[in-house]
Amino acid sequence: MSFVLNGEKHSIPAEWADEPLLHFLREHHGLVGAKFGCGRGECGACTVIIDGVAMRSCITSAADVEDSEVRTIEGLADRETLHPVQSAWLEEAVPQCGYCQAGQIMSAVALLEENPAPSDDDISAAMDGNLCRCGTYQRIRKAIQRAAEASV
Amino acid sequence: MKRRTFLKVTGGSLVALFGTGAAVWSQMPVLPTRPAPDVQAAAGWISHNDGKYILTLPRIEMGQNITTSLKQIACTELGADWNAVEVKLHDTSMQKVRSTVGSESIQYFAEPLAQACAALRDALTNGKTVSDGERVDPRPIDELRSFKKGALGRQSPELVHGREIVTGKPLYAADIHRPGLVYGRVLRAPSSSEVTSKPKSWNINAARAVPGFLGVIEDCGPAIGKATGLGIVASRPGALSLIADALDIEWDVGSLPPQTDIQALIDVDKHLNSGPLPHTALEGVPEDGVWDIDLRVDLPFASHGQIEPRAAVAEWKEGQLKVWAGAQDAFFHRDFLADHFGVSQGDVTVQSCRIGGAFGGKVPCSAEAEAAALARAVQRPVKVQWTREQELTQAYHRPPSSHRVKARLEKGRVSDWDHQQVSSHVIFTPFAIPKWLQSGTDLAVGDPGTARGMETAYQFARSRAQYQLERLSVHTGAWRGLGAGPNMLTAETAMDEAARIAGIDPLDFRLVHISDPRLKTVLERVGSISNWQGSAVRKEGGKRYGRGIACGIYKQVSYAATVADIILDDEGEITITHMWCTHDCGRVFNADQVKAQCEGNLAWSIGMVLCAGLPVKDGRVVAEGFFHSPVPIMSQFPEMTIDLIESSEKPVGAGETAMISGPAAIANAVRSATGIRASRFPLEPKELAL
Repeated sequence: MSFVLNGEKHSIPAEWADEPLLHFLREHHGLVGAKFGCGRGECGACTVIIDGVAMRSCITSAADVEDSEVRTIEGLADRETLHPVQSAWLEEAVPQCGYCQAGQIMSAVALLEENPAPSDDDISAAMDGNLCRCGTYQRIRKAIQRAAEASV
Repeated sequence: MKRRTFLKVTGGSLVALFGTGAAVWSQMPVLPTRPAPDVQAAAGWISHNDGKYILTLPRIEMGQNITTSLKQIACTELGADWNAVEVKLHDTSMQKVRSTVGSESIQYFAEPLAQACAALRDALTNGKTVSDGERVDPRPIDELRSFKKGALGRQSPELVHGREIVTGKPLYAADIHRPGLVYGRVLRAPSSSEVTSKPKSWNINAARAVPGFLGVIEDCGPAIGKATGLGIVASRPGALSLIADALDIEWDVGSLPPQTDIQALIDVDKHLNSGPLPHTALEGVPEDGVWDIDLRVDLPFASHGQIEPRAAVAEWKEGQLKVWAGAQDAFFHRDFLADHFGVSQGDVTVQSCRIGGAFGGKVPCSAEAEAAALARAVQRPVKVQWTREQELTQAYHRPPSSHRVKARLEKGRVSDWDHQQVSSHVIFTPFAIPKWLQSGTDLAVGDPGTARGMETAYQFARSRAQYQLERLSVHTGAWRGLGAGPNMLTAETAMDEAARIAGIDPLDFRLVHISDPRLKTVLERVGSISNWQGSAVRKEGGKRYGRGIACGIYKQVSYAATVADIILDDEGEITITHMWCTHDCGRVFNADQVKAQCEGNLAWSIGMVLCAGLPVKDGRVVAEGFFHSPVPIMSQFPEMTIDLIESSEKPVGAGETAMISGPAAIANAVRSATGIRASRFPLEPKELAL
């Protein structure tokens, strides 16, 4: 079993196959950007992009991504050059505690790849599954708009 | 007992207790036990080597971006580039500092840090260094560069940790990896933590059959409340839930009459029927007579809902323990762990990690002690991260509260005021103080955390506030703003109703009761930026538009006023369209991040009014996830306009202030749109439907 992780092919060891993808990424690959928030697919802190779609890695098993392409927040930047969404996040000073933000950013990236000029309603629809308890939603919205403008 | 007296008694008796040694001290986390740091202590936070500085921050970073503001102060005083100062989070090898509670990082840490950095700058200019223990003489505050008017306020440098957050670098306790790391969990009975429980029997063979199973550990750390657990360890985190299921533990659960209806237990009217409530927050004596306003307000339990479930990594090496923790007081954790495991404080190091949200909830030593106990048993480093269900069932929550508030009008002003509340504990909780002391505080002291916000900023002729505390089988404790959120929601909805009965605009009505010029200013300013022209109602095509206002003073030091615009549809669904908030927390070092705190408080205000609740059945929490205990989502979020007062007053906290005005502004907008004065929160759309 293998999959593509941030552009590189990796095997899925048998002992990790049944493990939630989130743990496989964090504990086996050391990619700790995606976070455990609820383990039930309710909060979105664990969001990664699987074959172009924002998915909950806490309720996806490692075996489920066999032959798929998985992108995590660690794979967004091109070395020191941040992805436009990451830059927009810093320019809008979005994070407070920061814990949900990797998931927010991955949902935003997936949204903008599918819809480069989202309306306010499009943004809400795409982001309503990503909870932020600190209350950064207004800045998230502005950062998505900024990133959308930057890529026009 | 009178309020002034109880504060004195509280301070004295607790100080006395802290003198009695580690065993007793370790049971008392939440109280402000350590003095604010002085310049001398601050000198130890900043070091210099060859043009580079290391700022070891004595505050935990949990979302206020206080790290950024304190680094701004350091850079300004040192005259150093942003990139020349590296920030490190402290561990317990540094001098003991105050716990990160109460939104006081700027209030108590800004000036000592500025003084220490200014002294280092001077020393370096003169070719000297400031060595440990050398005396630093504080200079007059107006000689501090970072305290000059406008010196910093408008700067917004890249957030400390911002780049790490957006690129997914390890920052939080659960991100720590150690060689040989394994994963642990401590299982506890599905019952109230106030009922004695322990594991009785379990199916070890079934557990062994789960791939990744490493062991069952009976000696798995201290009880939580009275719930003794059973530890499990696995080579992969996903195995833990499978092992827990396979074990099929039978629990020995003691009998305690279950509190089947907690909301009825704290029913304020039932308690008032049997006599006056025992604790006093305002000492006035209203005159007898008919009340013009007589409102009941009830709020349920609410969880903190921080996205990071508490986590810790623990590792023992040659009798010494190291713990990576995301907790609000690393020193309390160190002392607690040393005490529990019978080692010296010097043998325990707790490294602070960034916290993924705490809001008052990450004070007790729980996941940390569990990880340390399991690590000791298996002789390997262990990571413990609570499940969401553990967060909801084993942590403490905002207490439910039941309020009766009355006001009497005389010549267009409130003459008499009476706020009565029954709730549970916020500060003197089972987490904070032992059982024997709980009875003492219940009898004599009350709980100033529960009472916060019952004091009033208005000039009423006679005002009384009294409250009663019930010990509940669901643990309660500090939640953003402590009692101020619920108490001010209650008081500011009553004030709004009083304005309606007096027939006076609610903004003008508040103004005539205000003598504090700073409160007056925030109220007038929020009226001005929101173009306040009264809480007029408009109906259009089945939609009802409403507008509400509220204001207050938090902890007698910071000020906020909020206006909310809302729309209700015919089914009673509320859309908050815009919130304006004017905020005064004295001198501001990073305006953008103070605004972020206001946005956060308004988010919590929205949650309080629209969704915050926690299902409880037979005296225990039955929630498993965010679905049962919701927090606001993006589409519930309005546009927010935050307006900061530029001030040269003493800087104070901004992390909780807007909790005093946000909830009531929304509730008052609902009242204006519907004519319905809600008495229960969160609001039920069906009760507001056409």
